[in-house]
Amino acid sequence: MGSSKQDKTLIESKSLHVQIKDTSVLKGLSFRVAKGEIYALLGGNGAGKSTTLKTFLGFNQASSGAAFIDGLDVSSSLASVRKKTAYLPENATLYPHLTAKENVEYFLSLAGLNKSASEIENTFDLVALQKDAWERQLQTYSKGMRQKTAIALAILREAPIFLLDEPTSGLDPVAIDEFNQLVTELASSGATILMVTHDVYGACQVANRIGLLRKGELVGEFEANQNERIDTEVVHAAFAQRQP
Amino acid sequence: MSKIHLAQIGCVAKDELRYWSRSKLAISILTIGIVLTLSSVIVTAFKMHELSEIRHSMQETSEETFMEQPDRHPHRMVHYGHYAFRAPSPLSMLDPGVDAHTGNSIFLEGHRQNSAMFAEQEQSTGLTKMGSLSPAFIVQVIAPLLLILIGYSSVSRERESQTLSFILSQGTSIFTLIFGKGLALFFVVCLILLPLTISGVFAVLLGESLAIVGGFLAGYMMYLLVWVLVILLFSTLFSKKSESFTALTFAWILFCIAMPRIASSTASISVPTAGKLETDFAVIASLRKLGDGHNAQDPAFTKLKNSLLKRHGVDSIEKLPFNFRGAVASASEAELTAVLNQFAEDRMLQELQQTLVARLFGWLSPKVAIRSLSMISAGTSVETHHRFIRETEELRFRFVQSLNKAHMEKLSYRDDVNRNKGEEARKKASVSSTNWQMIQGFRFSPADATTRFTRSADAYAQLTLWIVFLLLFIGYTGRRVQ
Amino acid sequence: MNKHLIREWHFMLRQSYVLVLLLCGFLISSFSVLTGLSEIDSQRETIERLKTADQLDRAEAQDKHNAPGALAYYSFHLTYSAPSNLAFAALGERDIYPWKHRVRMLALEGQIYESDAQNPELAQAGKIDFAFVISALSPLLLILLFHDLFASERASGRHELLVTTTESSFALWGARVVVRLFAIFISLILPFYVGALINNVAMTDVLILSLWCLLYFIFWIALSLLIGRRESSAPRIASILIGFWALFTFVIPILGDLAINQSIHSPQGGEILLTQREAVNDAWDLPVQTTLNAFTATHPEYIGYKHENEGFDWGWYYAFQQVGDQVAEPLSIRYREAALKKHQRASFVTLLSPTLLIQKKMTRLAETDALAAMAYERRIREFHKTLRMTYYPWLFSADKFNKSNLDLLPQFDSTTSGTTYSRKNE
Repeated sequence: MGSSKQDKTLIESKSLHVQIKDTSVLKGLSFRVAKGEIYALLGGNGAGKSTTLKTFLGFNQASSGAAFIDGLDVSSSLASVRKKTAYLPENATLYPHLTAKENVEYFLSLAGLNKSASEIENTFDLVALQKDAWERQLQTYSKGMRQKTAIALAILREAPIFLLDEPTSGLDPVAIDEFNQLVTELASSGATILMVTHDVYGACQVANRIGLLRKGELVGEFEANQNERIDTEVVHAAFAQRQP
Repeated sequence: MSKIHLAQIGCVAKDELRYWSRSKLAISILTIGIVLTLSSVIVTAFKMHELSEIRHSMQETSEETFMEQPDRHPHRMVHYGHYAFRAPSPLSMLDPGVDAHTGNSIFLEGHRQNSAMFAEQEQSTGLTKMGSLSPAFIVQVIAPLLLILIGYSSVSRERESQTLSFILSQGTSIFTLIFGKGLALFFVVCLILLPLTISGVFAVLLGESLAIVGGFLAGYMMYLLVWVLVILLFSTLFSKKSESFTALTFAWILFCIAMPRIASSTASISVPTAGKLETDFAVIASLRKLGDGHNAQDPAFTKLKNSLLKRHGVDSIEKLPFNFRGAVASASEAELTAVLNQFAEDRMLQELQQTLVARLFGWLSPKVAIRSLSMISAGTSVETHHRFIRETEELRFRFVQSLNKAHMEKLSYRDDVNRNKGEEARKKASVSSTNWQMIQGFRFSPADATTRFTRSADAYAQLTLWIVFLLLFIGYTGRRVQ
Repeated sequence: MNKHLIREWHFMLRQSYVLVLLLCGFLISSFSVLTGLSEIDSQRETIERLKTADQLDRAEAQDKHNAPGALAYYSFHLTYSAPSNLAFAALGERDIYPWKHRVRMLALEGQIYESDAQNPELAQAGKIDFAFVISALSPLLLILLFHDLFASERASGRHELLVTTTESSFALWGARVVVRLFAIFISLILPFYVGALINNVAMTDVLILSLWCLLYFIFWIALSLLIGRRESSAPRIASILIGFWALFTFVIPILGDLAINQSIHSPQGGEILLTQREAVNDAWDLPVQTTLNAFTATHPEYIGYKHENEGFDWGWYYAFQQVGDQVAEPLSIRYREAALKKHQRASFVTLLSPTLLIQKKMTRLAETDALAAMAYERRIREFHKTLRMTYYPWLFSADKFNKSNLDLLPQFDSTTSGTTYSRKNE
């Protein structure tokens, strides 16, 4: 896994400055994520995590610096950038009055993709969404099940890059384990993943690298050694600004 | 259901008022509401006062010109005719009702019942068909909308942000919360009704019955209370602000915009009325049988002639102690009026039945209920117009018959028959202008308080039912949410 | 593109509140068309009944009397303004202005203001016609349908996912707008098409009306989207939009009405009648020649007429009826001019409010507006004139009349325009 670092950079933030209503939220943020990597942007409330993600999605404009996806500037080639990214929103909100299948079909059609029923079903199997729920409306789902549906959708998008917003918040421990496993599998099959989270342990469990974000600036990066996890204690100490 | 504490309700209401005071939208809506009500009250009061002056002065002018007519043949005065004007009722400054839609003057003459002429609407810009700047319209249509805009989120907001569970978990009853919110909205209702109350005091000073004004204002309070309850119900029923907003707006569209017109359309097709023009044919046919009162030789009057001759024991009409031509005019006017009245009553009955069908929709829409209540109480409903028609008909019959009496008693048959034989004969065939004085004194006023209360009983019942029904529904919904 | 529309169509069918709104729109529109059709039918039937009764009544009068003067006095003539085929969709001002009148040879100013109005309490509430559904109700339905197009997705956190997933803006928002527009358009206008088919409305009228409706809908949708883009809270957006609706429906018309009524002063209708009555009644006491002189001043062809006997004479009687109209004429003209001027100024106010504008366009097309009512009044005046011109030769030169001439009396034709009334005996 470690070798993936040498691969092509797919996500890059270059001294990114973003202002929202006169407040500087991002102050020169720089990081890169290489193909096949899982990068977790870790930060507390108001650190600028969501702003970073939304800048990559094209909802915020950089006041200086730039965000790149697969070498394309987000602000100038938004349409192509969006084709290459699959976004998983916080709370995985889809349409509650539609079934999982209908939701996925709806969004895929929006994206201009045509997937067969079996492809969709296979993906549901892949994310371990229990079969009896496929034809049920989402309003009957638990949060973990909605999350799985949303991931299934993201996978079906066949985008090389995943942007995940607080993917594990509100999930029970079993669901978190399942999720982490799925993300790891995705990355090993070549996907590049950027997730933002405030969950130190979750990030350490799944990410290859962690960027620590504080007040719009990257204050530290942590990297896992080959086949090892990042040391939770070190990251936690940095997060809480104390010596390990 | 836990206990409801008055102090807590007051606390909730105060909090709601504070919430509004910090919201720009709520403040501007409140301001708009008060400015609109106030300006409508002032503008309409001035307008109706002006109309009242004009109509009174025209009534006086009409009487004066009638009395100023020189000595002449009394039947000339029957055709000269007289005008009656419908003076607006004191409460019409709050609800002008049908005033602009009916003619407000009637030309009264012998042998004919004219319809009221010069409805203001015919001489208007046609812009105010959707709504006018009358307090009735503002309070019936606009005020509920403003209440909705202010209050739609009163409970659903707490549900959406989950403060509701927090409040409930403290042991506060949901009904304390609902009634507290209701109290705050009721405060707005009072603000809206304040200008109306002031106008009502003026109406009392102008001679309107205190009970009617009180009932009128109470009716409006019940109506706005219905809306407060609708708002509380929908706000409790829906867990999202946007849902309660959409549902309330929809209810407003249905009750205030669509339903009154649906009521009118339904009434007009379910009780078809023949117009005056059409019944006039039947009147003409009936009248042909009666004979022309101008022509004493008409065979239709032979019977009258014979009975009069017999009663007075004479053998020719010249020898009767009074003018036979006058007697014929008087008798034929009486017969004709009976026929005309019968048709007029039929027509008014039809029109009333039609109106009653429209008013039934008050069970389906509080706006229709308050509309009837308001117009009936204010004396600006169709009944008042009918009363005007009846009273003017009475006036017409009285003055025509009084002239016929003069014709009969103060003008000799010989002079009358010779009236066309030269200037001198014409002068002889006249009576003194003192006979024209009886025209004085017509002043129209709406029906008494008791009659108006009786007529509006249904509308009060409709509003009461709405209130009871909504309270029950709120009780049910509140228990479910709790 | 097709694929997106189909997808959004199916998606819309799954949203129950949208369906409820569409169904309500359809029901209300159907009701308005149904009652409109029934109203117009009953107006047509009334006119047919009146026509028959009118002929019978006149025949009886003509049977009973022989002198042209008495014939003129006792024969009434029906005039009417038949509803156009499109009138069912826009009943317009027909419940306020009279559309049927019976007139005779007497002074017209004493007759023309008689109004056979409909139930005033129903007229005050107004009827629910298709024009009302489109002009006043449809914006509210459109606001409910379109105000939260963005806001509801924002509020439930789907906005970003939708935007980042979709191929193009059109695929998402465009398709949603088009599908909803199509659905509401069909549910509101379909009943009208059925009504138009039943009533044989001209194809061009149907097309013009459809186009206006479409433009009007697009206006409201554009406004909803414009405000929907700027604000985030759905109730706030809807409040602002309803504010615009109230501005166009109530505020602008009411202010316009106040301003116009302040600027134009019309004589009181009662004054016309009083003037006319004084003139007619005074004539009884005036020397015959005074009246005849005033009459021949406007009708010089009858200068040679001599008042035969001392007493009553029909020629003189109708001369002073006419003089009564002549005396009241300046007032009457001012009265009508004031009405027309008010209407013209109101047209300017209409330009400020799309709601009023579309209503005006529809009633104009259906010929049910105040202008049509004024044109009908002009037709009555023309008809009355033709009637007088037909009778005068008979009245003023006794040898010219024999009863078979009655066939020459004009018949009111509701299709003639106000200015070109033709006389039969010319």
